[in-house]
Amino acid sequence: MLHFFSDIFQYQFILNAFLAALLVSIAAGIVGSYIVARRLVFLSGGITHASFGGIGIAYYLGFNPILGAAIFAVITAFGIESLSSKYNVREDSAIGIMWSVGMAIGIFFVFLTPGYAPNLMSFLFGSILTVTKQDVFLLLGLDLAMIIFFILFYYPILYLAFDANYARTQRVPEKVFSYILMAFVTVTIVLSIRLVGIILLISLLTVPPTIANLFTKKFKYLIYSSILIGFVGTITGLMVSHGLNVPSGTTIILALIFMFLIARLIRLIMDKVISIKQLSKN
Amino acid sequence: MGKIFEFTSVSAGYDDEIVLKDVNFTVWDNDFVGVIGPNGGGKTTLLKLILGEIKPKRGTIKYFKHEPNEVLFGYLPQVIGIDKKFPISVMEVVLSGLLGRKGIMGRYTGHDKRLALNLLQRMEIQHLKDKAIGELSGGQMQRVFLCRALISHPRLLILDEPNTFVDNKFEKELYELLQELNKEMAIIMVSHDLGTITTHVKTIACVNRQLHYHPSNLITTDQLAAYDCPIQIIAHGPVPHTVLHKH
Repeated sequence: MLHFFSDIFQYQFILNAFLAALLVSIAAGIVGSYIVARRLVFLSGGITHASFGGIGIAYYLGFNPILGAAIFAVITAFGIESLSSKYNVREDSAIGIMWSVGMAIGIFFVFLTPGYAPNLMSFLFGSILTVTKQDVFLLLGLDLAMIIFFILFYYPILYLAFDANYARTQRVPEKVFSYILMAFVTVTIVLSIRLVGIILLISLLTVPPTIANLFTKKFKYLIYSSILIGFVGTITGLMVSHGLNVPSGTTIILALIFMFLIARLIRLIMDKVISIKQLSKN
Repeated sequence: MGKIFEFTSVSAGYDDEIVLKDVNFTVWDNDFVGVIGPNGGGKTTLLKLILGEIKPKRGTIKYFKHEPNEVLFGYLPQVIGIDKKFPISVMEVVLSGLLGRKGIMGRYTGHDKRLALNLLQRMEIQHLKDKAIGELSGGQMQRVFLCRALISHPRLLILDEPNTFVDNKFEKELYELLQELNKEMAIIMVSHDLGTITTHVKTIACVNRQLHYHPSNLITTDQLAAYDCPIQIIAHGPVPHTVLHKH
């Protein structure tokens, strides 16, 4: 497993995967903190799975699957919005519908495509072999855009997420912010697919903030620590994936869950220590 | 003493439905108006109009600012739909009251933080400043939201049902505090609890599709009937003929 680091400089694909892991951690840390705080996890799960429809069609027609996923992710985000606001479908039902319809379309077209679909498994479970230089640059662009946006507009983002009714009375343009943030969520999801795969992506977004939330109650620190936790988790996952030849999505998620269990234990011990200290004070 | 805002024959509603009709309503500095009325009678719509969240379908609303940058309103919304697990500290919540003045790219200075701390001190909850909002009790949370409403030094404080979900002790303190604040600013308080409202406010606005302004805090059941304002009267003992003089 340790030759992962020596291999980084030997094999371009491992370097790509390493850089992608670093950049994905940043995007996922920011987006994950946002969707967890705003309770948009189920919505994000819907967008993630529905994007498989685009991958299936791209396979069938022979264009870039990630582009297909992006198109489908956007359609899903707007589809859920309009199903629930215009057609009076309850939002969680709308998410559930788009979730499975997207998957159904994807599987339908994959099976129609003649021959063996080579990278199909990697889109479902992630693979470090498929990360390209282009992906790394796209991720870099996404990270930069998101970091700048969050630095400039940190407070309106935080306050809209916490109490939109109040933020509106403070003249924050709620719609504009919601759409931009939804766009960031969507792009982050699509660009993370290669590394962790569709099935496992939602844990990459939700586990780091959940771990961080055990120790901090501030949104800013939640983002910072989610990025760090995500990075440790993805790199550990990549090393195991490389060593054992297992899809990287699975190893990354298992690494994160392992970290969660350890964090939970640490929290438990910290709480015990605090309560003992308080007892001895009284 | 000056006008803060003035409604002239304002009608408003949603889609094709008219919720408020032909409302004339003026609030002056240091007024203390209790807004009462049945559920669905248009109290919330009235607040949204004042805050500029919705536009009137007919009529005009005029605001009287002394200077263009002045903050007219401090707003204490109803405590519903607050996510108690949300990762935000008490300090951050209070500072969000300055968002309107700072603009969306605003930064908070040490001066702002001192302002927030002074307010928290005034409410006697300064020790909670770094706690997550969800760790607070109902009364403490309401105090924090009151600090958020006050930090911008508004000329008018708007309170929407401030006495729901709080304990009696806080309610009593809240009304004492409002009396004090009323020396510095006008207050509009929406409440379903006529008994408490009449002992604290100066004037009453009955809202039920229309707005009847009652220039006193004494109101009789007959007058309420005349205003077409059927509200539940919560009072001590048998419902008196004249609802609760000031004790």
